[in-house]
Amino acid sequence: MFQGLAQSELRALGVSGLPMVTIEHPLGGERSEGVTRRARQAVDQIARLLSQETGAAEVSRATIPTTTTPDFITVTDSPEALLAAFCERQWCDGLPIVPPTEDRVRAMLGGADRDRPLGVMPPLWRVATLEKLAVNAVMAGCEPAAFPLIVAAVEAMLDPSFNLYGVQATTHSVAPLLIVHGPIAAELGVHSGSGCFGPGFRANATIGRAIRLILMNVGGAWPGRHDMSTQGSPAKFSYCIAERADSPWGPLHEDNVVTVYGGEPPHNVNDHVSTTAAGILATVADTAVSLGSNVGWYFSQSQLLVVLGPEHARTIADDGLSRADIQRFVFEHARLPLRILKLGGMWGIHDWPRWMHAVTDDEALLPQVPSPEDVMVIVAGGPGKHSSVVPNCTFSRAVSRPIRPL
Amino acid sequence: MSQIRVLSPVAAASSGGVNVPRIPGSLAGLTVGFIDNRKANFDLLADEIGAILSAEHGVKTVIRRRKANAATPAAPEILAGLAKDCDVVFAGSAD
Repeated sequence: MFQGLAQSELRALGVSGLPMVTIEHPLGGERSEGVTRRARQAVDQIARLLSQETGAAEVSRATIPTTTTPDFITVTDSPEALLAAFCERQWCDGLPIVPPTEDRVRAMLGGADRDRPLGVMPPLWRVATLEKLAVNAVMAGCEPAAFPLIVAAVEAMLDPSFNLYGVQATTHSVAPLLIVHGPIAAELGVHSGSGCFGPGFRANATIGRAIRLILMNVGGAWPGRHDMSTQGSPAKFSYCIAERADSPWGPLHEDNVVTVYGGEPPHNVNDHVSTTAAGILATVADTAVSLGSNVGWYFSQSQLLVVLGPEHARTIADDGLSRADIQRFVFEHARLPLRILKLGGMWGIHDWPRWMHAVTDDEALLPQVPSPEDVMVIVAGGPGKHSSVVPNCTFSRAVSRPIRPL
Repeated sequence: MSQIRVLSPVAAASSGGVNVPRIPGSLAGLTVGFIDNRKANFDLLADEIGAILSAEHGVKTVIRRRKANAATPAAPEILAGLAKDCDVVFAGSAD
């Protein structure tokens, strides 16, 4: 099932004639007899490759045909025909689009150099030019004023520490969450209040959608082929919020900045009764840990994002806690005992520091993230006694970039 | 009904290419390496393949190196070491 991803990536990179040995899927979860059967499958193929060496060498020097796409298409000028044409070519997310005409794309670019490359985007390593970003932004329904934000978010995603290849190709449900900071959030209408993770706000919906379309059309992450997410996620349609500027602790960034965070969809934190910071944060910490989360297994890159609703935030602030205090509290309390961690999840293939591997006490409470600084805290949402925790995928670190005119 | 011209959202492939070296016709007396991708059971699979290749194909030495975790690339020193010590390397991929 992963063969298509490998072949497409080799083609994209121009790697010619690399022999592949494939075995039955899945390997994980198989007992010893299943592993032995697959080992035999592999060796039989290796033997065939060796015996066909001369022929294989010829193939390895042959030119691999490359797929090309046209610069434009001509379609009947109706919403239905346009949607059908783009869906047929696997160029969109299944929802209606705005026609990316030359005039609209030029307006989106706002005079910026359309050929300027930001880098190559995995998993198919295609060139992310401003023009291609603009085409996808038009399709998503973005206003041109949002384009510098989209460009900054793509730059952030292409930072090696974000590990966009892992984010794009994994079986995990991760999607890049965009968090918009600074005055530009209000200027663009990026919503930070009631229902901010949900529908109803054009900037949130279309900016997040533009990012997804870019990941699919520029990066080439098509579900089940190059985006191998087992179940996908609603957050893969659009995932963009602003942080509230009126947070009791101030915003995470005062300036116009976008943060990309490779996260799961928000996990609800329901606490209608606590009147203290300790009560609310205990609920937050409990929500942040579970055996099925990726967080904690690949320890060095694990992060947690805590999105406090404003009422929870006020209760915590009234008890005198700073943002650093919240980070420390969650770091200290979002823990599982070793005996629970041994039950499943990724036990046995986890990537922990030496000191954690040395722990033998089953009751020892082990941290989920390396430090309090790996717990990010922002405020968003409206009235109500809910917050959320967004675990990261644990193979990607949050990256922030300034939003500047192009 | 009239026609409309719309731009493609699909980006162009990056240029460049790599030719893979010729694979040997036999593994007898050679050193075979595995990049263990840290997915469940890959270690067992690689060890079994290595044992069969030694027993049936005369492989001299089998080397297995583990990535830090499944989702990040192999460290450069792992790649350099395998390139130096091995005649053929199998890289584990997927689940």
